[in-house]
Amino acid sequence: MNTLITTLFLGTTRGAVFALVALGLVLVWRGAGIVNFAQMGQAMFSTYVASTLIIKGYGYWFAFLIALVVGAILGAIVDLAVMRPLTRRSHAGILASESMRATVPVIASLGILGVLQSLAGMIWAAEERGFPTPVSDVAVKAFGKTAPFTKFDLFIIVVVALTLVVTTLFFKKTGMGLAMRATALNPEVARLSGIRISRVRTLSWAISGVASSLAGLLITPSANLSPNTLDLILIVGFTAAVVGGLDSLPGSVVGGFILGLLIAVINVYVSPDDVFLALLVFLLLVLILKPGGLFASKKVRNV
Amino acid sequence: MLEIRSVVASYGSVVALKDISFTAEIGKITTVIGANGAGKSTLLRLISGLEVATSGAIHWQGESLLGKSPESIVRMGVAHVPEGHAVIAPLTVAENIEMGALFRRRSNKDDVKLAIGEVYELFPRLEERKNQLAGTLSGGERQMLAISRALVSRPSLLLLDEPSLGLAPLVVEQIIETIKALCISTGLTVLLVEQNANTALSVADHGVLLSLGSVVADQPAPLMRADSALRSAYLGY
Repeated sequence: MNTLITTLFLGTTRGAVFALVALGLVLVWRGAGIVNFAQMGQAMFSTYVASTLIIKGYGYWFAFLIALVVGAILGAIVDLAVMRPLTRRSHAGILASESMRATVPVIASLGILGVLQSLAGMIWAAEERGFPTPVSDVAVKAFGKTAPFTKFDLFIIVVVALTLVVTTLFFKKTGMGLAMRATALNPEVARLSGIRISRVRTLSWAISGVASSLAGLLITPSANLSPNTLDLILIVGFTAAVVGGLDSLPGSVVGGFILGLLIAVINVYVSPDDVFLALLVFLLLVLILKPGGLFASKKVRNV
Repeated sequence: MLEIRSVVASYGSVVALKDISFTAEIGKITTVIGANGAGKSTLLRLISGLEVATSGAIHWQGESLLGKSPESIVRMGVAHVPEGHAVIAPLTVAENIEMGALFRRRSNKDDVKLAIGEVYELFPRLEERKNQLAGTLSGGERQMLAISRALVSRPSLLLLDEPSLGLAPLVVEQIIETIKALCISTGLTVLLVEQNANTALSVADHGVLLSLGSVVADQPAPLMRADSALRSAYLGY
């Protein structure tokens, strides 16, 4: 019984982080139609920046904030320096077919991932480092009993919950949020309404960069920081996004939590060695049985 | 005045518009009619910046439009309502309307409110349904919504692409009458593209007839409407 509760708590905190990763992927997918495989490379990079600042003696919160800013800037740079030139109209001749136009940016994102990992290896000598937590990561004790979670777990849940609330309010209540939704749903009508869609897209990349950097900062304490640490997290986040339907922000969040719980259960009750296998089987099952995601419903179509 | 001068446009090797020239006067409804494939929609997409012309010039009130982005052209007072009741179905009615005024929400906050109030007055049915998703509206309501989205940008030139498409005659009449009244009361200039020539010519001041990418007639609408030879040659009735 106690194991089960601990497992569920672990699953929820991990799920919260996966939800952030999935959110980042879905933001760029909806905004720009690109699956960004470089996302966790960007997050790894900004986490290294935070780690370096902390080693140099700066406080955790300062490093935390700078990492988020670096995440936003990296996201914007990827769009401005690589994706925008790649998808520009003057390249229409090179990227002749529709499928080429959809594939090339994705391959480019894999290239960016490689570049970021090599750069991190060169700058930080590829040594593995620990990464601190802002609050205690030993189990909380209260009334003489040991709770199945740590203060850091609570911190993760609160930070992710806040992020989701702020994101939702941003999309529902602000003009820029509306502009982002319109751009994702129908770029042509958005442009005719005067929305500068390339700027809106760059902003999507930046916000996605912040979300994934946040995920990096929250997950790295439980692993070690190395240029490749977050590769697996990307695969989990991608699976979460697909489970949620890839098109839906709330879906991606729910997908993240489902994956967190699934992985925790397999970790504890089956074997940690089988997690990756189970993940891929689950992804395949979802793709075969419900290719639109678990929550796919009849969509209102634009006729 | 909207001035279209020697405009040529092509898709790949297919020439969609062959050397088109005509003008549309301020405060009037000019209709561009012609059969399917005559190049009518292409013309509107060139004016609003969605497509690029091969050669020629397009001027609105003396300013050149060719080569500018749709985002900038809207800011010059040109609003385009594309074919097919172009609304964003998963957004609410209110959001669709708000979207049309986003670009001036900071510079002209009060006027945006005013403009939104005005379109609700024009189409009260939209106000009743303002919290519904646009995808749940009827075809006629969607067309009203698409036009409202354009109107809240406070255009001086409104480009309407086939507003009658798929709508009941009564609804078409209601929409067209609203536009006509708007022209008279606000001095709005309208370029109306229609396949339904009879309806278009009954409301327009001036008619331009396109056939296979060329202008074959350019005359006052009542004259064009009375010209039975022209009608039977190009419009088939």
